[in-house]
Amino acid sequence: MRTQSKLYFYLTIGAVLLAIIAVLALNTGVYDFGGTSPFKVLWQFIKGDPGLSLSDQYVIWDVRASRIIMAILIGSMLAVSGTSLQGLFKNPLATGEAIGLTSGATLLAAIAIVLGGHFKQYLPEVVQFSLVGISAFLGALSAMMLVYRISTSAGKTNVVMMLLSGVAITSIGFSITGFLIYISKDEQLRDLTFWNMGSLAAATWTKNIVLAVVIVISYAILLPKGKALNAMMLGERDAQHLGINVEKLKKQIVIITSLMVGTCVAFSGTIGFVGLIVPYILRLLFKSNYVFILPLSAVLGSILLLIADTFSRSIVAPSELPIGILTSLIGGPVFIAILIKFKKSL
Amino acid sequence: MIKAHQINYLHKDFHILEGVDVSLGYGEFLAIVGPNGAGKSSLLSVLANEIKQGKQEILFKEKSISNWEVKILSQHKSKFSQHNSNEIPLDVKDVVMMGRYPYFDSQPHKEDLEATNKMMYETDIFHLKDREYNTLSGGEKQRVHLSRVMAQLENEIAHKLVFLDEPLNNLDIKHQYKALEIIKKFTKKANSAIVVLHDLNLAAQFADKILLMKSGKVSAYGTPQEVFTAETISQAYNFPCTICGHPITNNPMIIFG
Repeated sequence: MRTQSKLYFYLTIGAVLLAIIAVLALNTGVYDFGGTSPFKVLWQFIKGDPGLSLSDQYVIWDVRASRIIMAILIGSMLAVSGTSLQGLFKNPLATGEAIGLTSGATLLAAIAIVLGGHFKQYLPEVVQFSLVGISAFLGALSAMMLVYRISTSAGKTNVVMMLLSGVAITSIGFSITGFLIYISKDEQLRDLTFWNMGSLAAATWTKNIVLAVVIVISYAILLPKGKALNAMMLGERDAQHLGINVEKLKKQIVIITSLMVGTCVAFSGTIGFVGLIVPYILRLLFKSNYVFILPLSAVLGSILLLIADTFSRSIVAPSELPIGILTSLIGGPVFIAILIKFKKSL
Repeated sequence: MIKAHQINYLHKDFHILEGVDVSLGYGEFLAIVGPNGAGKSSLLSVLANEIKQGKQEILFKEKSISNWEVKILSQHKSKFSQHNSNEIPLDVKDVVMMGRYPYFDSQPHKEDLEATNKMMYETDIFHLKDREYNTLSGGEKQRVHLSRVMAQLENEIAHKLVFLDEPLNNLDIKHQYKALEIIKKFTKKANSAIVVLHDLNLAAQFADKILLMKSGKVSAYGTPQEVFTAETISQAYNFPCTICGHPITNNPMIIFG
């Protein structure tokens, strides 16, 4: 089969699967719509039926639907950022969590939450409003640049250095976040706990619109880079000989993945390991061909996170499990599996 | 084709290259030879625009090589590197297809498939095309990269240039000859090649010009007959040698010891 049609074939399968899971997720939940099915309620809402009660409206549209869309957007972005990072570092262990990107974002977001009140009034209004998001992006970006500087020289990445600098950044982040928790007030404390665990419970349509804008910009730049990431496996110099502007590519990946990870952290806290699990599964099917795994990780990431989120809110109903716990539970063993596979080459 | 004047390359105050002049005409096969650490690979890297060097300008087709657009340049020249990556978890045909990346966006065209198939045949790896690259032997990997690099220059553009850094490493005798014949055939079509070689006898048989290097400097340049004299060679390599005519081609034949 032609490469392109094969890719579209898998993308279609993924999209159909995602749609089915989304329908199931819409049907899952504690709230009782008084005997009518949630789909009917959603249809009534879309049609603008005046007979619909306010609480029904709120649950179907502002709680369930917005949360499902948020899971799709965040899962997709986390997976694509993981895959792109692995392409940049030429290693399947590179993910936002392992190299400290997520910690960097969480740290600056935590600083913004706890200390933001003191300097907020000096900032322009737009910045004030999105202070947490911007801080998370800057945190991710600086962690990323630090790790890249430490671990890569002359176009070659030292995997041990990459992971160890991630460990260092994570421990700095951990200690400062711990200190912030210690000094924070009650309300801030609740915010901070939410960050560390990760949750999609705070989904709103405003957030979804912001996420959608970020995703469109990021994917327009990143998704066509499959060939370039393949060429990077030859080494940066050889990629250059194949007509790829390596310096530009690296800058684009650094900035866009930081933007995506930062936005995800700002809206949903730390949901770990999606960027590790998704490319791992895809590599089992398509080897490391980024022409396939980069666009497919966008769909599979959504599927994975939507399943995890639906589980997290139904498994201990009426309460809910923080989703980060679930993803880390799958992610840990996958990380170990990759380590064992690459034992010799590390 | 390519012209460079007085190349200097310093690494931590150590002169790796010192005042090297290179000039290559269309259709020429230039072999760079010399003992270990003479600066052969560094010279190739500088010429191929891998190492950005301060002042010296390298003219590729009468235009400074750094002013060429990367993508256009990749259809005019390609390079075979000495240290090829060992870990590429892809099928052989996908690795060879990378050579065609400058020519298509997302879907390889018919010419791209033809070019890769043709080069895989010529380098004798067609039967391996569905194997995973990582499972190949060292020599087979070399041939995969050779076909990738040569497939990159399968186009209608006149006067192309290929750089090859020790392409014969790990190859058995038959494939050493095959590889050199592919390069020779390429230069017969008014294209040029700059090849770092260790085997002087092969260089003498295939190359049009020889550049002999020692300690970062050019110690001799010319046709094989001019460069391969007993005196020059034994001086450059610090090892005694005798030269006689090749019984068939009458090119110089170097016997060490």
